[in-house]
Amino acid sequence: MQGSSIVRHVVTFGRVLREVGIEVGPGRVADAVRGLGTVDLTRQDDVYFTLRQTLVSRHDELELFDRAFVAWFLRGPVAPLVRQKQTRRWADRVTGDTLQAGADGDDADDASTPHELGASGHELLREKDFAEMTPEEFERVRKLMAAIARTRPRRRSRRRSPDPRGDVLDLRRLCRKSLRSGGEPIEQPWKARKSVPRKLVVLCDISGSMDAYARALLFYLHAIVGTGAGVEAFAFGTRLTRLTPDLATRDPEAALARANEIAVDWGSGTRIGASLAEFNALYGRRALSRGAVVVIVSDGWERDDPDLVGREMAKLARAAFAVVWVNPLKGNPEYQPLAGGMRAALPFVDRFLPGHNLRSLEELGAVLAGIERRHAA
Amino acid sequence: MKGTVYAAFVTFRTIEELDTALREADYLPDRGLATALFLALALEKPVLLEGEAGVGKTEAAKALATALDARLIRLQCYEGLDVSHAVYEWNYPRQLLHIRAAQEGTVSEEELFGPEFLIRRPLLEAIDTDAPVVLLIDEIDRADEEFEAFLLEVLSDFQITIPELGTIRARRKPAVILTSNRTRELHDALKRRALFHWIGHPSIEREVEIVRLRVPGIPERLANEAAAFVRGLRALDLAKPPGVAETIDWAQALAALGREEIDAEVVQQTLGSILKYREDIETVRDETLVGLIEEARTAGS
Repeated sequence: MQGSSIVRHVVTFGRVLREVGIEVGPGRVADAVRGLGTVDLTRQDDVYFTLRQTLVSRHDELELFDRAFVAWFLRGPVAPLVRQKQTRRWADRVTGDTLQAGADGDDADDASTPHELGASGHELLREKDFAEMTPEEFERVRKLMAAIARTRPRRRSRRRSPDPRGDVLDLRRLCRKSLRSGGEPIEQPWKARKSVPRKLVVLCDISGSMDAYARALLFYLHAIVGTGAGVEAFAFGTRLTRLTPDLATRDPEAALARANEIAVDWGSGTRIGASLAEFNALYGRRALSRGAVVVIVSDGWERDDPDLVGREMAKLARAAFAVVWVNPLKGNPEYQPLAGGMRAALPFVDRFLPGHNLRSLEELGAVLAGIERRHAA
Repeated sequence: MKGTVYAAFVTFRTIEELDTALREADYLPDRGLATALFLALALEKPVLLEGEAGVGKTEAAKALATALDARLIRLQCYEGLDVSHAVYEWNYPRQLLHIRAAQEGTVSEEELFGPEFLIRRPLLEAIDTDAPVVLLIDEIDRADEEFEAFLLEVLSDFQITIPELGTIRARRKPAVILTSNRTRELHDALKRRALFHWIGHPSIEREVEIVRLRVPGIPERLANEAAAFVRGLRALDLAKPPGVAETIDWAQALAALGREEIDAEVVQQTLGSILKYREDIETVRDETLVGLIEEARTAGS
């Protein structure tokens, strides 16, 4: 490879990377070309690292890069990307067999309730189980969620800003003002710590039995992500997947469809413990959960070993500021946390809430706004 | 940035030359890291080093400073880090005393906010100097996102504006190393500006090499066994898998105890220098521990 030939190679390789989903801007391609100009092109490892370090900027893109590099420069055979098996889209399921999902006998309203609701209808809607809502009702509820989402747990920042009721003198302003009075600090400007949103991490069970609730909660999450930084959302079924980037850009419906493809094997049950373990290993270690309010949304049905749920909950609870478990089944007054996974998790849960209707989401919002460390469940 | 001289007096023409200089500074980089640091100097770009805690990200910056015969200026990031701790701050007590001492009406604002009342923090220090500098911005992922945005500005222009004094431009661009433990993803804008290198745990051969370099006089067998044992630990599901730093600490402890090899007793006594969490120590007990020691001893002999 010499001169323009290098440029051509790198530009084409940049295009290959873009095709596999790595964002490569022209600036990076230019860096790669310049970089290759300074290293020994006969050494494959130097060429590899030069391209990787200039073209890739995220750890999770390294695997894709390696595959593309092998395919392009080494002309090696490439295994097809493993694609999770295709499942039905969310929207199809919601209109189809939603009613049997998660409904726990609390069927005071049935599906034939008229949809034109007045003021009292609005109240009814607040109490109605998400699993029993018609698409029109759900649409109306969505709009109310944004308001609830604005209440987020907050913490005090270390940073201070001018505040007449502050607790620390603003010395910079004090000095400036004292100039006018010959060094006498007549005016005393104060500053105080601002309050900023506390980190919020939500892990949402999207397996079959949680269908309708997960959907409602995701719309709620979408609204929360819109309130600013510091929110991380994950979905799990048999596996864990991170939803945050999807929720920030896409419509929650599309995010959920994608999460379903990745994280759920139909009919194979929920692996709460394994999903929590994955979270703890991948994200907890990166301190994502440290100091955060962690909200887990699940009915607590564990397919595998409930003990694993307990162990992983213990790890999670140690790192987190507080742990809230939202279980839609708790909406039923008769509900007892008998499911093994749920029982194992409860000792590590600070607040145990329902989440089956709009009113209980309001309750969740209120709890999140006022949560303090280590409540009893 | 035309006309600005880059960091160092020393230049390296090849990766091998840099690699040799780093080794002379007691640091053993793998080829990938040597390439990353070489490119950072050649392309005059910041380099972002990511990896688990304890894989030697900070050490790499120190070694680079030694290799370049440059001054290392370190900015340790933390939540709430702001301009007054990262860039500069006015010395208020001195200012107030000065106003008082000068009697009324004689102190001008220019005088009061002059260089003698300025406290220089790492970023200003790194930019406002004639000496070659390696600027280490450590654990940038801990700083707030607002600070990241500010940093981005500094790293693109290499200039700092102090309202009272004006703009200070770098006369010599520092070599910049950012490290992150990935507690959060950094802004794309910042990443676009930097080269990126992921540091994984070293291979067993390299780790043995590192231990022998950092613990002079350690018996060969002990170095082999220690590295193999730690490698075994990393394969377990631990809250905090030990890094190279822990291997070195542990090997030092073992050598100080006069050991030639490891056994269950000494491992139990010293496990606290490798594993920092109670639950991890509990995971590694009894049969697990015996098994790991067996494996390490086989590998080490």
